[in-house]
Amino acid sequence: MANKDPGIGAAVAAATCSLLGTATPGVSVAADAEPKWDIESAFLYYGESDGRVKDLSLSALATRDFGDERKLGLDLSVDSLTGASPSGAIANSSAQTFTSPSGRDTYSTPAGEIPLDNTFLDTRFALNGSWSQPFARLYTVNAGLGFSSEYDYQHIGANFGLTRDFNQRNTTLSAALAYAQDTIKPVGGLPLPLAQMTDAVDDEQSPGNRGDNSDSKNVLDVLLGVTQVIGRHTLLRVNLSYSDSSGYLTDPYKILSVVDPVTGDLIGRTPAPGASGPTGVYRFESRPDSRRKEALYAELRHDFSGKVLQLGYRYSTDDWDVDSHTLESRLRLPIGGSSYFEPHVRYYQQTAASFYRYSLANGALPEFASADARLSEMSAVTMGLKYGHVNAGGNEWNTRLEFYRQTAKAPNEVLIGNQPGNTQMPDFDAVILQFGYHFKL
Amino acid sequence: MRKLFLLATACGALQGCANLGVQPWEREVLARDDMQLDVNALDTAFDDHIYFSKEGTSGGRGFGGGGCGCN
Repeated sequence: MANKDPGIGAAVAAATCSLLGTATPGVSVAADAEPKWDIESAFLYYGESDGRVKDLSLSALATRDFGDERKLGLDLSVDSLTGASPSGAIANSSAQTFTSPSGRDTYSTPAGEIPLDNTFLDTRFALNGSWSQPFARLYTVNAGLGFSSEYDYQHIGANFGLTRDFNQRNTTLSAALAYAQDTIKPVGGLPLPLAQMTDAVDDEQSPGNRGDNSDSKNVLDVLLGVTQVIGRHTLLRVNLSYSDSSGYLTDPYKILSVVDPVTGDLIGRTPAPGASGPTGVYRFESRPDSRRKEALYAELRHDFSGKVLQLGYRYSTDDWDVDSHTLESRLRLPIGGSSYFEPHVRYYQQTAASFYRYSLANGALPEFASADARLSEMSAVTMGLKYGHVNAGGNEWNTRLEFYRQTAKAPNEVLIGNQPGNTQMPDFDAVILQFGYHFKL
Repeated sequence: MRKLFLLATACGALQGCANLGVQPWEREVLARDDMQLDVNALDTAFDDHIYFSKEGTSGGRGFGGGGCGCN
């Protein structure tokens, strides 16, 4: 524990300040020559097994230091997404045909396979800007604006935060607020909640069972945090957060298979004469129009003679009944003076949303239902390794390779007829490969 | 009741914090780049985006992520 004798502490502090004072002219000359921009850039490849989603992403995070702790941050990202995504429909003993999200084409899935919508293709641009600066003694204020755009989705958001240091800057309290407004404009229009998928139509006709062209969702986030220096080698951060989403929270591209309430088998359907369309009964999903989440996040960082261990834990709960636990750890191992290895492990586990269904029993419809595996019981493991090297100029290049495996499970109570023991969930493996360069200008 | 308990715990923790910490001249390790909470900022941003797209919950470390259709 630190020496509590104020006399000695004050004397040493005064001596430190006077030393710094005499060094000031030299420091200021050096500062003039120092680079102003700190830029982290990276290329990321994310690829799922079995021809599913692939993402190529380029990102740069630039920070400009204007001195006196006044900083401008700019973050630019471009994503290119391709591949196939599970539609929510279940595998069937015979081949299945679906109308594509546009309502104008069809696609088919072979017998015994989980239906994937392969019309998935998007490019996303995102730009965030932020400013932070001291505000009175011990306070820092920051504010930011963000924008992102993809073919069927626009996002605009603003955030504001305040931090205050206490206890000789060993304790920092922070409070932050963010508000976002997103606009969803799905291909083919917004499906009516739980409406049945209809036959494909030509360009002159409107797809069946669609409502408006677009809708919006608003998200308010509040975050309270404390960062505490525990000792010379240990730092702890704890955050409490609250998030309130309202508006259109449904995924317009997800559907559910409608099954016989006794056998649990898909109910067949024949397209109209001369038309092409679904060969089974499928309904678009429907989610509540509000969601409130609360989360507790804790992160510990500890130095063991140059090796740095990072341990993180998050508990999240919400009024959709999705409760999750996330455990994460990184260990940075320096090699020589200029390189490091950093192994990373992460474990995630969640419960199913109250309205998650593996399929819908034919008959009276519930108010809400989704067969999106992301709302089912699920666990996921990530294992990875990063290598970084600092070159003679003080810039760092790094690369990381990670493997992600997700395993979902439909709760027994949502299974119908012969489905227990026969469920097929859209589990997948993914590879994350990243190359980064961190430099100063 | 639960909120009151959380508040009491938070106040207790803050009081406890006053006894923790280091003197300004004991910060050489804490000042290192690899001890900063945002040392892997870009990795974290990528990861948050991936997990937001693939899992049922997000956020906690910072804001909830998002800003994408992510199906």
